[in-house]
Amino acid sequence: MWQYSLLGGYRDFVGLQHYQFMMEDIYFWKSMKVTAMFVLMKVPVQVLLSLMLAVLLQKETRSSAIVRSAIFTPVVTSVVVVSIIWAMMYHSQLGLINSILSAFGIPRQVFLSDADRALPAMSAMMVWKDLGFSMIIIMAGLKGIPVVYREAAIVDGAKPWQIMRHITLPLLKRVLMFVVVTQTIFSFQNFVPVYVMTKGGPMDSTKVIVFYIYQYGFLFQDMGYASAMSVVTLLVLLVVSMIQMRLFRTDVEY
Amino acid sequence: METVNTNTGVDVRKRSPNQILKKLGLVLGENFLYLILVVVFVAPLAWMVLGSLREEKEIFANLYPFTIHTFWPITWTLDTYLDMFGISEIGIMYGLHFHRFMANSLIVSVAVVSCSLVFNTMGAYFFARLDFPFKNFLLIFVVATMLIPFQATIVPLYIVVSKLGMRDSFWGLIVPWFASPFVIFALAQFIKEIPKELDEAATIDGASLWGILWHVILPNAIPGIITMALLEFQFIWNLFYWPLIVINSSDLQMIQVAIANQTTQTQIFWGRTFAGSTLASLPVIIIFLALQKWYIQGVATTGLKG
Repeated sequence: MWQYSLLGGYRDFVGLQHYQFMMEDIYFWKSMKVTAMFVLMKVPVQVLLSLMLAVLLQKETRSSAIVRSAIFTPVVTSVVVVSIIWAMMYHSQLGLINSILSAFGIPRQVFLSDADRALPAMSAMMVWKDLGFSMIIIMAGLKGIPVVYREAAIVDGAKPWQIMRHITLPLLKRVLMFVVVTQTIFSFQNFVPVYVMTKGGPMDSTKVIVFYIYQYGFLFQDMGYASAMSVVTLLVLLVVSMIQMRLFRTDVEY
Repeated sequence: METVNTNTGVDVRKRSPNQILKKLGLVLGENFLYLILVVVFVAPLAWMVLGSLREEKEIFANLYPFTIHTFWPITWTLDTYLDMFGISEIGIMYGLHFHRFMANSLIVSVAVVSCSLVFNTMGAYFFARLDFPFKNFLLIFVVATMLIPFQATIVPLYIVVSKLGMRDSFWGLIVPWFASPFVIFALAQFIKEIPKELDEAATIDGASLWGILWHVILPNAIPGIITMALLEFQFIWNLFYWPLIVINSSDLQMIQVAIANQTTQTQIFWGRTFAGSTLASLPVIIIFLALQKWYIQGVATTGLKG
């Protein structure tokens, strides 16, 4: 809430001036919207896919272990490296993805320079990267469900789909809640891909809130406003997390 | 051969051809799916590593049409790596010295992990075993700090680090991570698993609190400690945002920022970008592949008990 500059270090108490400015700052609202869209594109897809993969890869065979390692490898790779490689893969002339598409006769696409495509492209990449993480957590949750429940259901004549719906999913609720909440929090903080791949463009279509904060705080040297925005972001995140936890609340006891 | 008594009442010994085909189809389908999954998740990284082992012209020449050579080098060469380390002429001309960045990252990572081992295990021990005033409050406090997104704490942290004069130095990179609430919490969970009887036995033998820590807790908590050390090493090695802000002189920069800065310049040198990315990611990937058990165990445990 103070006007503060990195270099000068002077400070005037400007009270709530930053917050007033924020309310009218269209770029602030735009980047909140961009962030929301990104989170909505990434989290549901990721949680669903990792759930499916976790169920698929439950067995302890050697081949499934290899697949699990493969899926988890992007998790340990740094975001920076992943962003760089995918930026190159998405390249409209020299990218790997266009190369593969051309093998199927599909014309070359533009990904990162297209305002409509850049954000989904980034979401896809982050889903790719984080799938392994949520998958492992869900698998650990799956292991916590006593086998006897499923066996009893089979005895009663339940089909796999029914088992999933009535036994597995309810008992996984806590784990799923954890995954959804943490992935939402992480997705809100998504900075590196923006910095490396698009720098907020094209036309601000990928300027997520943390990137905007970075611009103000470290490029425009307006730490005060950056802090104010950080506070607001934190509050939004808190509210979103609480809503999610409410939705996933479960009274199921073993 | 015994018959397995399934509840469907089908005699398993006799299988009709239909069932055999169905089983075969399932197995094939499953393995095919596995194959696709592995390809999807490994291909980009493979492209990166293989691309770093060939000449730049070759990368471009083989993009269209899409053949096996889009991935697989025709001539294998280590030239790009020589460039990166400043050994070859091109490297010297462009002033590349990636070994410096790798060394920086290595120093900082090892330093943080070492400090963490000392401070975090002590902290975890106290939280797990001892009762002291305000313990619950502190616990909630620690957990709460975990929930705050890093971005929100960056600005104040930066101001503190500046005021302490640690900007643009290794200390600025290491000190904020001296004690990590996440690690303390996770280690406390691990330590709670150790039966208290061991503690009591040691006390009877005349051990002090520190003695218990050293002789009882530490040996038993080693799996947890190893897992946390690995996770922290990976975390620091892959860290980007903080070194970006704290370090200004390019000599002290950590490797992730170094390669990011290289890429965002106007002209992209594909070979070098591949090589740099490989250098920045391979150490952690290799550690992961070698010690997978610890990783998966760590992730799963913190996920469940969190």
